[in-house]
Amino acid sequence: MSGIHCSMEDLLAIRDGQGSAAARRHLETCAECREEYELLHQRIAALKALPSFSPPRDRWPAVKEALVAERRRRKFLGWFSLAAAASVAIFLALRFAAPATEGEALDQVTLEELVTQSQMLEEALRSFDPTSRVLSGRAAGAIADLEDQIALLDAQLAEAQAGRVDPSIVRELWAERVRLLDALVRVHATRAAYVGL
Amino acid sequence: MLAALDQLAIQRAKTGDLEALEQLYRAYEGLVYTLARRLCRTEEDAEDVLQETFLEVCRSIGRFRGAEQASLTAWIKRVAASKALMRLRSDRYREADSLEDGPELTNPREPDVALQMDLETALARLPERSRIVVWLHDVEGYTHEDIAELMGMTVSFSKSQLARAHARLRRWLRR
Ligand SMILES: [Zn+2]
Repeated sequence: MSGIHCSMEDLLAIRDGQGSAAARRHLETCAECREEYELLHQRIAALKALPSFSPPRDRWPAVKEALVAERRRRKFLGWFSLAAAASVAIFLALRFAAPATEGEALDQVTLEELVTQSQMLEEALRSFDPTSRVLSGRAAGAIADLEDQIALLDAQLAEAQAGRVDPSIVRELWAERVRLLDALVRVHATRAAYVGL
Repeated sequence: MLAALDQLAIQRAKTGDLEALEQLYRAYEGLVYTLARRLCRTEEDAEDVLQETFLEVCRSIGRFRGAEQASLTAWIKRVAASKALMRLRSDRYREADSLEDGPELTNPREPDVALQMDLETALARLPERSRIVVWLHDVEGYTHEDIAELMGMTVSFSKSQLARAHARLRRWLRR
């Protein structure tokens, strides 16, 4: 035996191929340290041989639900920005059209209000994180349904913007959009309050 | 233990196909859950890590560049390890962790007869960070540099945690 015994750090470093020359030399000549080194290998082998675990519950449905909700939302928000862009264009077109009569001026304000309302509701929707809580099947169904209707409506709005459509129809579409968004916010708020208990 | 996935299944998963993603989940759930159980404190935490890991994997697999299942496995494990460690780094564990990390052992080669236990129990008894370092280094084959990066600590701290863990296991297991 030469020098002092190897420390645990020494043995671990040697195992990783990084031990000092002195420690390696000692290990070659010291039966006690070689015994320790062998035990280290045995411990690691035993750790590797520990049985694996099986998840007690299937988490795939929750993963899938969160994924689908995210995709739906992304699609939905995509439509929203398209509709928002369209609304600004429509609004500007209305504002700079020929001098309006009193009735038309009222319509412009109403449309502006609807767009603002729509944006506020959208803002409220953003505060509900679809991935944070598990949805009940019924709430998820109701939300999916409303989001589908809104997506459809936004498609109509985009189409209305592309063609020449009567401003009153555009206004009606926006009013419908506000109604649907409001319903959607209510479903989310009810669910959040319910889960929050 | 790990079910084989063919190239086609991996490609389909990358396009976001839900059936292929489920196939991926089925192939890896045991592996990810086992790793999470070894790194987390509770079964509940491990289950949450399983879910968070797959949500992340499903979101990001489109940007994953590897083609071989081996590199896919390494990536998924890394996502799982980082999710588990993020959980442990959160404040609610910090205090408990500093309390349980007791004084240095005087002579690790002297077995503690009063504390004879099996490996499973001994592993659970180790301080949080020691257990994680042992598992990541000795079982998963991560280098101290990898571990230091994952856990936000220095390489020498990782090395000393590993040595302390082995000194304790040696004493408790008498081997
Ligand atoms: Zn020696």
